[in-house]
Amino acid sequence: MANRHEDADRGRRLDRRNLLATIGAAGTAGFAGCGGRGATDPSESSDADTDDGGPFPLQVRLETGGTDERIRMVELIAESLQRTGYFETEVETYEWNAYLDRVINPAYQENGYLPAIGLSGTFNPHSFCNVIHNSANVGACCNLTGISDPELDELLDSARYGIEVVEDRELRAETYDEIWRTLAEERYTSFTHFGVETAVTGAAVHGFGLWPFQEGLFGYALYAPHDEQVAWIDRENPPGDADLGDLVEGGTLTGAVSTNPNSFDPPHSSDTTSTMLQNLLFEGLVVNDAEGNVYPWLAERYELRDVRDVDRTAYEPYMRTAGTTAAGAVDVDEQVIVRHPADDPATDDEVRVLLPADAREAAADGTYGMWFRYELHEGVEFHDGSELTAADVVASYEYYENSTSAPQTFDSVLAAVAADEYVVDVYAQVPDAEAERELPGIYVLSAAQIAAVEKGAIDPREGVTPVGTGPYEFDEFVDEEYLAVSRFDDYWVGSRGVAEAFAWFDGPDAFPDGPAIDAVEVEVVPDDATRTGALRNGEVDLTYDVASGTLADFDDADDFLVHAVEAGGYDYLQYPVNVEPWDDPRLREAVNHLIPRQRIVDNVLNGWAEPAWTPIPRIARGAGTADYDALAAALKPLNEYDVERAEALLEELAAEYDESS
Amino acid sequence: MSLRRFVLRRALSVLPVLVGVSAVTFGLFHLTPGDPVSQVVALNPDVSAAEEARLRERWGLSGPVWRQYLAWLSDVLVGDLGREVRTGRAVSGIVWRRLPETIALGLFGWLFAVAIAVPTGIYAAVNEGELGDVASRVLALSGVSIPNFWLGLLLILVFSLYLGLFPVLPPSRLPLYHPETLRYLLLPGVTVGTAAAASLTRVMRTSMAEELNAEYVTAARARGLPERTVVFKHVLRNSLVSVVTLAATLTAGIVAGSVVVESVFNWPGLGSELVQAIDRRETDVVMAITLVTAVAVVVANFLADVLYALLDPRIRYD
Repeated sequence: MANRHEDADRGRRLDRRNLLATIGAAGTAGFAGCGGRGATDPSESSDADTDDGGPFPLQVRLETGGTDERIRMVELIAESLQRTGYFETEVETYEWNAYLDRVINPAYQENGYLPAIGLSGTFNPHSFCNVIHNSANVGACCNLTGISDPELDELLDSARYGIEVVEDRELRAETYDEIWRTLAEERYTSFTHFGVETAVTGAAVHGFGLWPFQEGLFGYALYAPHDEQVAWIDRENPPGDADLGDLVEGGTLTGAVSTNPNSFDPPHSSDTTSTMLQNLLFEGLVVNDAEGNVYPWLAERYELRDVRDVDRTAYEPYMRTAGTTAAGAVDVDEQVIVRHPADDPATDDEVRVLLPADAREAAADGTYGMWFRYELHEGVEFHDGSELTAADVVASYEYYENSTSAPQTFDSVLAAVAADEYVVDVYAQVPDAEAERELPGIYVLSAAQIAAVEKGAIDPREGVTPVGTGPYEFDEFVDEEYLAVSRFDDYWVGSRGVAEAFAWFDGPDAFPDGPAIDAVEVEVVPDDATRTGALRNGEVDLTYDVASGTLADFDDADDFLVHAVEAGGYDYLQYPVNVEPWDDPRLREAVNHLIPRQRIVDNVLNGWAEPAWTPIPRIARGAGTADYDALAAALKPLNEYDVERAEALLEELAAEYDESS
Repeated sequence: MSLRRFVLRRALSVLPVLVGVSAVTFGLFHLTPGDPVSQVVALNPDVSAAEEARLRERWGLSGPVWRQYLAWLSDVLVGDLGREVRTGRAVSGIVWRRLPETIALGLFGWLFAVAIAVPTGIYAAVNEGELGDVASRVLALSGVSIPNFWLGLLLILVFSLYLGLFPVLPPSRLPLYHPETLRYLLLPGVTVGTAAAASLTRVMRTSMAEELNAEYVTAARARGLPERTVVFKHVLRNSLVSVVTLAATLTAGIVAGSVVVESVFNWPGLGSELVQAIDRRETDVVMAITLVTAVAVVVANFLADVLYALLDPRIRYD
């Protein structure tokens, strides 16, 4: 099966020997450090029985798309397989959009190819296992090879949903540990490495710190008391000095972003740049520190008041019947909060759906999964001078209905209701262990502004100045060119003092009551070389998305600082588990041992990544494991580069095949 | 045929060209996998198939390609260039804001090309076979051969990063008509114009050299006219015919080159917008820019034909 397309593609096969010569210039060091029992010389490794038929040498087609680095990684893996003599590998690469279209397709799994792709995870450990293994995500993002394991599905669901894991953090962590162990044993997927978020700053920037996600590039670095993070501009002192005692107030920070923001309207944009820039203007009910811990922000405090053991069928009495369109969409204008799990708009003419007003009614009647109460700070001022109240928060949630961000908001939020002038109740659809982070995950907008504009029009390009409560207020934006914001004089944290504003703050007295930098200017520069050129030329103070090769140059230069933090991006290779002979876990185990994770990180990514010895990166460890060190000790041997082990397994498979034939 | 009728006929023939260009672009664009909706939702595990279907319907991205094309065409005929899916903004606004930037860059590149090519070509032809001529030919060959993205990066490296004479980023706060814009136009303008300058130099030199060997030149010299008059009054004028036509058709090359050069120099024109729009599969934006480009090329060719007629009255259009 795997060689179905062999003839057609033979002409495009690459010469892997040559490729290794170019990729692995520093290969010896990589081998030494990779923990395996030494690399095998290609000349002595062709000991497989290639003549007496059997599945070996096995035709393996690896497919990928996206960055050059990912392509080189896949080529390195192909070379490693090829060297054993048990595999005939070919690598096919696609333009990114074409690749997505190709692999996010339920029929793709039948090809028997090995797709490699990169995804971005979050603090939620679910984002590193559920998305790529749950059978519900076959044909969607991103279970690419049709992995369908009912026991695993159940395990995945039980780690996040249900009253037990909501109430028992330890149980949740242990369930995830069980998931990681299952994944390591089944090897449906090989995680290769976890990304590192990087940024480069010029000599003038001091105290800079990175959040693990690009969205926080400006907002977090400029002011994040939850991690005692504050950056300032000082063109006199040498770079690197980050002593709060030397903090200088004022100045302008110039940054360069790689894409144009789609919109300043928070729910109507989902691209990273938009969120990154909105971060300067808007705030949420809570914030996350660099490890994903939740701190109340616009809410002075919050509490979980009740959890109820319901699933989505509990809303049936509140649901209405709606028609569907030929293309398989639900034919209603309002936001669908919950769709009945038994109905499918693609096949049914009518589906039962819960609409916003009915959802509020259900919540009022006591039908909900969770009930959180947020008590707002009093006296928080919007940029237009009005005061933040519960009405603004409720209007903001409603404004998220039918927006770009609606899918990730209303997969958990049931309803938001004002309980008092400064008290908001937010209800979750089902008991969800991620609710504490997920439910308040919206930007709070001004109800007055929401009422005054058309949906999606909070954008200077529509003639509307975005109004938030954030530390900076909007000055000017020229589409695809630049954004200018300046410090908001009546910023609420500044007017009451950081220690006064946040009961949880235990930082030093010297920590400022608001950001130190007066103004931020952000240039939009899509071309990588131009962007790094502008940084080198001193035209901007800060940029990111710098190629790993260029990062080393900046790292060596005295005038620049490279910042790096382990982040949520991860790359993985999936096995076509429904296609012979990949349904045999021993074959997957062998291939997994042939993935040179350390060498990928050292040689392809120039060290700017972390090898994936476990499927869980640092940022998800809070909720995702009971004891990371124990987990790593148990799983690392299963994921190390180990040619001997791989060849022993392959030999076993080949012998078995000979016997049976 | 009179010039007036010729102009009218050419103007009318523009329409089928535009329809053809747009149909081919539309078709090709739909052959490439992915659309803006799949781009927005592809890696979002929270978006259900029903939500995706709803988005496609809203943006008119469902149904057969020919029907989508006809819908697009009928909108364009009433002056509606469509909207960008990601932002919901009108495409006409994007085009109008970016067009002047591209025109400014193209004009600068074109003037640079002419300013370099005409004197160099004359000099080379008059001094045929001498060192200056050889040098000009080598330079012209290199100019044609150097890929403009590479030249652009090299100019940035030398003049911005090593010598510090120019900023890397274009002036985002200066209006286009500000005199200082000229300084920012210099590097991208030179990059855009180099290839055109090179091919113009070669044509200028060849046609000059040809004319210099013509009998009327010998006759003029025999009449005792000063060499300066011979070269500039008689020969130059006659050899300009092919140069003018080439210069007009080079506009197409300059427009095409600006796609790459604008990206390298972060110049906020149509070219860099086109690159981004293709990346994001924004059909309406790509179609609008293609249309504007096609109009520019057709108009340039048309002007070349008219100029040809004006410069050489012997030419008739039948």
